[in-house]
Amino acid sequence: MMRRTWVIKAILVVSFLALTILGGLGLYEQRRFDIPIVAGPGVTKVVKLSDYSQGLKGTIADTLVFILEGKEAGGKALIMANTHANEPEGMLAALIMIENAVVDRGTLIIIPQFNHSASRNTKPGDGYPLYFEIETEWGKKTFRMGNRDASPLDQWPDPDVYIHYPEKQLLSFIDARNTNRTWPGRPNGLLMERVTFAAMEIMRREKVDIAVDIHGAETMFPVTNCIVAPEKSLRIATMAALTVKAKEGFDSHVEPSPVGFRGLSHREIGDHAETLPFLLEAPIPFLDQPTGPKTEKFLLDGKDPFLLSLARKKKLFVPYDESGWPVEKRVGQHCSLTMEILRQHAKRVPDRAVEVRGVPRYADIVKNGVGSYFHDPAKAERSKIYLN
Amino acid sequence: MSGQIGIILGVMILAYAAAKAAKLSVEISMFLSAVAGGIGGALVRTPSFGQLFRHLVEGSFTYLDVILVFSTATIFMAIISESGGVNYVVRATVRYFYNKRVIALLLLMIIILIPGALTGAGSISLLVVGAPVAMALGLLGIPKRRVAAILFIVAGLSAAAPPVNIWAMILTAGTAIPYVGFELPLGIPVLLLGTFTVLVLGLRKQAATTFEKALKGMPEVPAKMSWWRVLIPFLVFFGSVLAYRIWPFRFPVLGLPLEFTLSAVAAWLVSPKKINILTLSRDTVKRLLPLLATIVVVGMLQQVMTATGVRGLLSFAVISTPLVLLILSLAVVIPVSEGVLTYGAAAVVGIPLIWYLDSIGFHATVAIAGLTLLWPLGDGLPPTALIGRLSVMVSEYKESYWKFLRSTWLPWLLITIVGILMIVFSARLEFLVRWSM
Repeated sequence: MMRRTWVIKAILVVSFLALTILGGLGLYEQRRFDIPIVAGPGVTKVVKLSDYSQGLKGTIADTLVFILEGKEAGGKALIMANTHANEPEGMLAALIMIENAVVDRGTLIIIPQFNHSASRNTKPGDGYPLYFEIETEWGKKTFRMGNRDASPLDQWPDPDVYIHYPEKQLLSFIDARNTNRTWPGRPNGLLMERVTFAAMEIMRREKVDIAVDIHGAETMFPVTNCIVAPEKSLRIATMAALTVKAKEGFDSHVEPSPVGFRGLSHREIGDHAETLPFLLEAPIPFLDQPTGPKTEKFLLDGKDPFLLSLARKKKLFVPYDESGWPVEKRVGQHCSLTMEILRQHAKRVPDRAVEVRGVPRYADIVKNGVGSYFHDPAKAERSKIYLN
Repeated sequence: MSGQIGIILGVMILAYAAAKAAKLSVEISMFLSAVAGGIGGALVRTPSFGQLFRHLVEGSFTYLDVILVFSTATIFMAIISESGGVNYVVRATVRYFYNKRVIALLLLMIIILIPGALTGAGSISLLVVGAPVAMALGLLGIPKRRVAAILFIVAGLSAAAPPVNIWAMILTAGTAIPYVGFELPLGIPVLLLGTFTVLVLGLRKQAATTFEKALKGMPEVPAKMSWWRVLIPFLVFFGSVLAYRIWPFRFPVLGLPLEFTLSAVAAWLVSPKKINILTLSRDTVKRLLPLLATIVVVGMLQQVMTATGVRGLLSFAVISTPLVLLILSLAVVIPVSEGVLTYGAAAVVGIPLIWYLDSIGFHATVAIAGLTLLWPLGDGLPPTALIGRLSVMVSEYKESYWKFLRSTWLPWLLITIVGILMIVFSARLEFLVRWSM
């Protein structure tokens, strides 16, 4: 009897170890998987976010900052993506810009993985795929699927309630790791506060005119398919939304940034710097709760029968049909809106214009696919490849 | 697709029922249900077989922070108890308030409400003050079943009480609504419902104990025990919680597990009696193991349910329900979702529900406050029954769990009615939010 108990215990221990190793290995590899980024013809400099805030040096939150300078002097624009690393359309749009954009006038600063720790995190309980692949002409390009919040491996423990700096507004404890709640940040604060502080430093030191923070939002979330802007950015946001509707045929309405809700990029950037902030939201059905399995295919094509049924009952905030809301549309919207915001700003303040070419617009990306704008790292010069 | 997901859900239910029929524990039955659901899903590649292990391991980490808090808080309270501090408090409560029953009950209610209100977890209330309060209630002549019922309801209300309400925080974080203006919409109903609960369940003295008998029946206290020795560990705990609130940008973030550990060390240092901290910790964790295992497995279950689409199907079923039926069904859906998913229920059911209610003119903040009164009730329901099981544990109630749960029916019903009415009349109650700000 005694021997039998020991045998059962031994089997359980071996099964536990096997389960942990087999299951944990995938998570370990995901955290260490690097995405190769091919710096395009417009990239003139690549620096680290920690160059703007010493507090990030040597941490996993440090991330690459791509700078594209034009020959002519002009204004400056900052593009941030993967603030929430489970909304990958922003990162894809940013990478398309890094690999293809050429700046004629002014400077474009791009941070494709703003919350770098979150991009190497997963979301326990939510069953996301660890990676997703985009078809290109030279094969499949693999990306990490991240989480909304930084990894607790990098910022821990969480407070029992997160108190926003400097307004002291109480926020969910989870938001201490959310880089869209920790603006404007502190140089010696929590790691994610140091990330947003570094970005604020870029804006203050470089005198950035425009900041665009690219996101995705659920179809059942009222603030989706829109540009969120504070009072001082509203005019440009409205003109950009009207122009893309008229010229490119897609909708994106304007949402005013709420004054009483602190920590968000569209609120704090405008309040703590001269920069005009904009936050772009494209609908990402994958993040909705009432959906089928969370598969890589669903992440990319955005097709779901439950959402379709809810759309017929008018319970979604965006039009939704059998075609879903594919990644091409989401990335295309982001590229077009970003370029349109730069154009509208240039019209208003010509001496601070940022003129960019080479970035595909909505119709191009929907027609050609996202992957057709990525370059093969195997064929690129080694000095042009950056792992992030 | 819903047919395929429905079959996977059926497989999970069958696996759970079969495991229970084989007299396996709740946690092992839930684990087998998760594995069966995962295998069922893998047959149609949602997820693939290769990813199944990863989903189980990843899911097991969903509530790691809750596990750490439970473990450290229980060890802290075990040291207080072992040092004689619990008995000292109980003796004092009975001595001063035995003949002022209403005041005694209201004071005990406030004592339970404070830790949960500060941390957002009713379990913390029970782990920190549950045992002494249970003993005090017992000595006031309340039978163990009703003691457990009082603890369960008031600890649940403490989790909903401001300033920290984790369901509301998850909902506000997920719906981009600021976590402000909850003080009155949550504080008023919590205090009223808590008062109702302690008076309804505790006012009637069952055992005819006299003051002298009660004093005699109280356990002995070590000679050197004093108020300071009892209070110092609690001062360390509440001091570290409050210090971050008062100086948020100067005081380091310690996190609840470390705050409880520091308080435990303080309790050990000031104890008038020698305590073997390693033996005590080992025994405490052994006692907590079924609860910890449940939390680990709930995470796995949640992950498998999401990866297979079962979670989405359940969420879809809630959102698709016609409005009047939906509102009425909240009385069942919200507690049951908590029983299955604990805090995960706020994300699965709550977020789409609030978006939907907000879009048709309900006031989101008041509606969230109303909903979060209903969620704690589910903490008494299986498979998790976190607060229910802890209430039974700290009150040393040994009889049928269902009898205990049945004795909560009146406060349960009133809380349900108040919560639902707050949702229905959320727009009219908007002034509570304004007055809070």
